Amino acid sequence: MKSPLQLPSWLAPMVPDRAQILRPLRVVGRSIRSVWRGIGKAWAGLPFMAQIKKAMPAFARTTTFKLTILYSAMIAAFSGALLVYLYYSTVYYIRAESENRITVEFEQLANAYYTGGMERLSQSVFERMTLSGSQFFYYLEDSSGRKIAGHFPRLPAEPPAVGMKTVYFDFELPQADGTSTLRPAAGRIVRLRDNGGALMVAFDTAQQTVIVGRIRNAVYVAVPIALILSLAGGLLISRGAANRADELAKTTEAVMGGELGRRMPVRGSGDEFDRLAQRLNAMLDQIQKLVESSRHTGDAIAHDLRSPLTRLRNRLELALSQPLSEDAANETLGTTLQEVDRVLDTFNAILRLARLDAGSEGTLTRMDLSELAEQLAELFDPACEEANLGFKSQIARNLVILGDKDLIGQALANLLDNAVKYTPEGGSISFTANRTPEGMIDLTVIDSGPGIPEDKRDKVTQRFHRLDSARTLPGSGLGLALVESVAELHRGQLILGTANGPTDRPGLKATLRLPRA
Amino acid sequence: MTLMETSMVEDESTTSLKVLVIEDDNEMASFIEKVLTDAGHSVERASDGASGLAKARSSEFDALVVDRMLPEKDGLTLLQEFRAAGGTTPALFLSALGDVQNKVQGLRAGAEDYLAKPFAPAELAARVEALGRRQVPAEAPVTVLKTGDLEMNLLTRKVTRAGKKIDLQPREFRLLEYLMRHAGQVVTRTMLLEKVWDYNFDPQTNVIDVHISRLRAKIDKEFGEPLLQTVRGAGYRLQSQG
Repeated sequence: MKSPLQLPSWLAPMVPDRAQILRPLRVVGRSIRSVWRGIGKAWAGLPFMAQIKKAMPAFARTTTFKLTILYSAMIAAFSGALLVYLYYSTVYYIRAESENRITVEFEQLANAYYTGGMERLSQSVFERMTLSGSQFFYYLEDSSGRKIAGHFPRLPAEPPAVGMKTVYFDFELPQADGTSTLRPAAGRIVRLRDNGGALMVAFDTAQQTVIVGRIRNAVYVAVPIALILSLAGGLLISRGAANRADELAKTTEAVMGGELGRRMPVRGSGDEFDRLAQRLNAMLDQIQKLVESSRHTGDAIAHDLRSPLTRLRNRLELALSQPLSEDAANETLGTTLQEVDRVLDTFNAILRLARLDAGSEGTLTRMDLSELAEQLAELFDPACEEANLGFKSQIARNLVILGDKDLIGQALANLLDNAVKYTPEGGSISFTANRTPEGMIDLTVIDSGPGIPEDKRDKVTQRFHRLDSARTLPGSGLGLALVESVAELHRGQLILGTANGPTDRPGLKATLRLPRA
Repeated sequence: MTLMETSMVEDESTTSLKVLVIEDDNEMASFIEKVLTDAGHSVERASDGASGLAKARSSEFDALVVDRMLPEKDGLTLLQEFRAAGGTTPALFLSALGDVQNKVQGLRAGAEDYLAKPFAPAELAARVEALGRRQVPAEAPVTVLKTGDLEMNLLTRKVTRAGKKIDLQPREFRLLEYLMRHAGQVVTRTMLLEKVWDYNFDPQTNVIDVHISRLRAKIDKEFGEPLLQTVRGAGYRLQSQG
């Protein structure tokens, strides 16, 4: 006979062993993982996926939803497996218990049979049938199939030709009130050796069935509850992460909607979401700067190019409306052309500034600043002389920077050009280049002109800003803005100050300060 | 600069060049054609890269004027293919993309010169002529440049006019050398800035004019016939009235 720990053969199909329970669990875990991966992969590859995605409710596409489903599937699988295991092991325990008792019963009956044959056996059966409190039912028949003793009118099934077989059947249990109820029973029929008769021992499984039924009901109730709880849990767990992502998405939408001042929330926890938010915020700062500058540029273009273009239009219209002598026509065309050239110059300057701002202008290479400064001094010297201005320059040797020769040249030319333009006749201009104690290089242009009042100094580097005193002179109002942009590109700065001249002509001291290579 | 003045740029001593203009914008192409024919050159046109390349290969031109943005085959590719196939015709790129990087790209692709739109007609004419001139094969390396009675010895770096020695600053020497090498041609301020000073920016102040007037004071002032002329609205020309 088998030990109770080993499964009897007749219970084997009913009760899986532990390994059998664990294997499907592992398989389920693996399947969930691979299905999840597969879904992710198949998702994009499916035909009409785009349409399906569109048709899916928005929430079903969120990470929250996916994570929730994943979590709850895992929790549900785990708790489901637990309940199934519980159910089977309980059933197994009950069955094994009954099985043990039937086995003991059979052992005793077998003893009777082996010691006293059929006679002794039938006696034993009779005795046991009359014993009160016995949970067992018996049935004994001889080799011809006649009933010798038993609770039932006949066997519920054909006895086996040899050995034993398990049977499940319902029997009628007479009640006190004369009616009878159907009761489930389970038993074993044994073909008696050397005799050909058959013996059945069965027991009422109603109680077991009730217990098992209760457990089953518990499982039916518990699984949905577990599922709901796991959904809720999954939602809570995943919402934390997804909320942060949503916050970022919402802020992004707000920014795209034109609220350029909005920034990603930083919780100060220092987690990856915080780090991401900080980087995004730095990017937004940069974008805001660019957008504001381009907005400003746009406004300025509208403002500054509209007037000359309007003048042009009017002049041309006027020229068209009346017959002109050839001289007058040429005169008109000449001034028109000059006007157009000015507009184009302004336009180019705006474009160059915009490209500088966007970082798409200028390539920094090692260059000899001394040489460039010397050349510019030499280039401007005659022009100053022509304008009756004193010009002196002092350029230190071997000043090397990482820079863009053309941009630095343009910036210095703008400073020198301003000096030539605004310094009245008889004045003087000096141009110096030297190292500073802080390890920078200062390129300074000093003139003896009207200078720029202190309260206006940060204004003049704004695009198109022109001081009232300068409005009559040619220029686009972009010169100093470009110098400042070039300085920024080279990680330097433009410093405007006074040359400390007499009150009526303090003069301007403009310094382009650049880091040494 | 009116069109009437453009024709003033024309000069009988300039050789007439055969120029191929590859430009898809019809109005622009007509304008370029007019500028160049007014300057005495003959012009053929192609309106896309493929036909432009075929034309450039099939016949003998003295200069190519190529727009950078073309349908089917952009100017850069066209020129690279032309050069790869052994085409040596000097080329000038025209482009609305005027920043330095674009220029460098264009020159690397095999162009001799680069002009950003919008450009002055005189600038275009002057540059195309400078291009066409390069086609004239240099025989023995030149050691002496002569324009009228003005002589420049490139070895001894001595300049004389009618036998009289003229002292020049190094930059003035270079400026005069460039003018003499392009004698009879109009040379624009931008060309001088690029070739003599190697600048790709605009100094705004009339610095070039001042340098020219100083040079003029040295080479023309004491002599009867002025060689260094200002061409209004275009630039300068060094010319002996032959």
